[in-house]
Amino acid sequence: MQMPVIEEHLEEIVERCVQAIETQGFPDAESWKRAVPGRAIVGCFPVYSPVEVFHAAGMLPVGLCGGGNRMEIAHADSRFQSFVCSIVKSTLEQGMTGVLADFDALVFHSICDPARNLASVYRRNFPGKKIEYIHFPQNFEAPEATVYLVREYARVAESMSELTGRSVRAEDLQASIDTYDAVRRLVRQLYAVRSDTPHLLSTRELYSLVRYGYLVPPEEHLEVLTRALAALSERQGRPRDRVRAILVGSFCEQPPIDLIGAIEDAGCYLVDDDFLIGRRWFVGDVSRRSSDPYLALAQSYMDASVSTPVKHDLRVSKSAALVERARRHSADAVIVLCAKFCEPALFEYPLYRRALQDAGIPHIFLEFEEKMWMFDRTRTEIETFVESLLFA
Amino acid sequence: MKYFAGVDVGSTQTKCVIIDAERRIVARALVDTGSNVVRASDRGFAAALEARMIARERVACVVGTGYGRFKVSFGDLQITEITCHAKAAWLLFPGTKTVIDMGGQDAKAISVRDGEVVDFVMNDKCAAGTGRFLSTAAEALGLGLEDIGAISLRARNPVRLSTVCTVFVESDIMAYVAQGKKTEDILGGIHSAIAARTIALARRVGLEPEFTFTGGVSLNVGMVKMLEEKLGHSLNVSADSHYMGAIGAALFAMEHALARAAG
Repeated sequence: MQMPVIEEHLEEIVERCVQAIETQGFPDAESWKRAVPGRAIVGCFPVYSPVEVFHAAGMLPVGLCGGGNRMEIAHADSRFQSFVCSIVKSTLEQGMTGVLADFDALVFHSICDPARNLASVYRRNFPGKKIEYIHFPQNFEAPEATVYLVREYARVAESMSELTGRSVRAEDLQASIDTYDAVRRLVRQLYAVRSDTPHLLSTRELYSLVRYGYLVPPEEHLEVLTRALAALSERQGRPRDRVRAILVGSFCEQPPIDLIGAIEDAGCYLVDDDFLIGRRWFVGDVSRRSSDPYLALAQSYMDASVSTPVKHDLRVSKSAALVERARRHSADAVIVLCAKFCEPALFEYPLYRRALQDAGIPHIFLEFEEKMWMFDRTRTEIETFVESLLFA
Repeated sequence: MKYFAGVDVGSTQTKCVIIDAERRIVARALVDTGSNVVRASDRGFAAALEARMIARERVACVVGTGYGRFKVSFGDLQITEITCHAKAAWLLFPGTKTVIDMGGQDAKAISVRDGEVVDFVMNDKCAAGTGRFLSTAAEALGLGLEDIGAISLRARNPVRLSTVCTVFVESDIMAYVAQGKKTEDILGGIHSAIAARTIALARRVGLEPEFTFTGGVSLNVGMVKMLEEKLGHSLNVSADSHYMGAIGAALFAMEHALARAAG
């Protein structure tokens, strides 16, 4: 595995991350695997995946983010209907074209019907590959739900252990939790810089730094984030007259990095977002919840994780959480950016819309696809929205 | 006398409008955009200046709008065509609450209050509902685009289309021609289908009168009538429909110049 060169400027660190993200395939993960015999890679489909469990089993959890805008879908269309989100098709395309050949296991989660069906399609079409599906609890008010989730985590841990020949001991899982907790703390620091001083760190840069962690071991990600924060502390700049906005709806299929840049260029500071929310899932450190690491993970999922459309926690109104979040970040507006055909996002939107209207928070609704190449239209829509706020 | 200019660089045509401090249109020009967008904006601006022998130095501020707004190299500011259309519609028709804009390649609906954009929606699915659909239909029938609107008014039994896909509608038209359907009935059906799609789009921002119809397709008398029928309300249509973006941009140029002067 190539270790990143110590770079002086944040731009160089970010550029390395962007290059890794835009490279087709997973060369860094494959190098990691080849370096030591017996290593195994697990691909984790969105949104949240218990990567700590897989890491504790000695695996490299790699985040599956779809084929982006450089992959043509030529095979997956034969297995899926037209009216489905692009990430499901491109993830299947990756399997069908050998991009995931070095992956020893794939994990899917109960976020929506297409994702669940993707797991089934993979099981049928790749009988030699370990395919796991994690059912997250749907009833957050039942104390039995946490017990169930602990068992579910233990089940997948044992499943992965069969693959690696290495059992997941409690101390291994605790160590993995500590590592990922450290990563999440640094990511939260970056997000805080973004919200407090958005002129010093663009969302495009922040996104690239976080997404890099999907491709490399958490230890390496930690090092890159540490360097990035150090480089960031040297940055200076003046705030520009832009609309502060939070962006929601992009928690699974990801927009092209250039689309994120185009949204900001159109006159916004995105002071918070739900891009890659799966790796930013927890509010606070997991390890503090319990001395039993499985219980800590499960309890954190149940009681200390973010509000998002793929979680059906009836104790918390998602719309109220959105309004509170906008206020907490002193946002002037909300951008709802949903992947086309994303059911969880689209089902939530009418409730978001009503709550935002009642709270007097301007918002705009936009759709995207991961395979977009041209962003003029989206940019025009955001610019018009910004103009309507600035000229009002 | 100071002047203010708006340059609307569209994908097919570039329009320029110059107004005076009383918000009166003193010059307008329209040129084909062609492949060089920067030169198109230069040409359009030069043509407008020449039309009324206005010296360049007398223009205090220029706003670029449209698809190529960032290519107006001499522009002081860039504002989207949606915002500009709302502004212009309100100037020409002060009671405007909803703008329906049908251009060559896109369609939009804008909810407007006192000239400001409250909400908007753009046609993002396909070319149906845009001028491109009508020009495809005209070509399939061997007619000029400028004639089909008037012909459609004579329809007595408008046909029903099985598709609103711009690519596949030709097949429908040929099938109807083969069946001996009258040209005016085919065109009546086409205009009806497009009007229905446009109103469905506009409903997403709310249908509140007064309605102002802008964009190149607003010059099509058949589309005006069809929309009015389906809306159950008259439409405001200006002879300057083509120039709405540029008019709005010129108004913003004036506001920007005045704000700058006020410090």
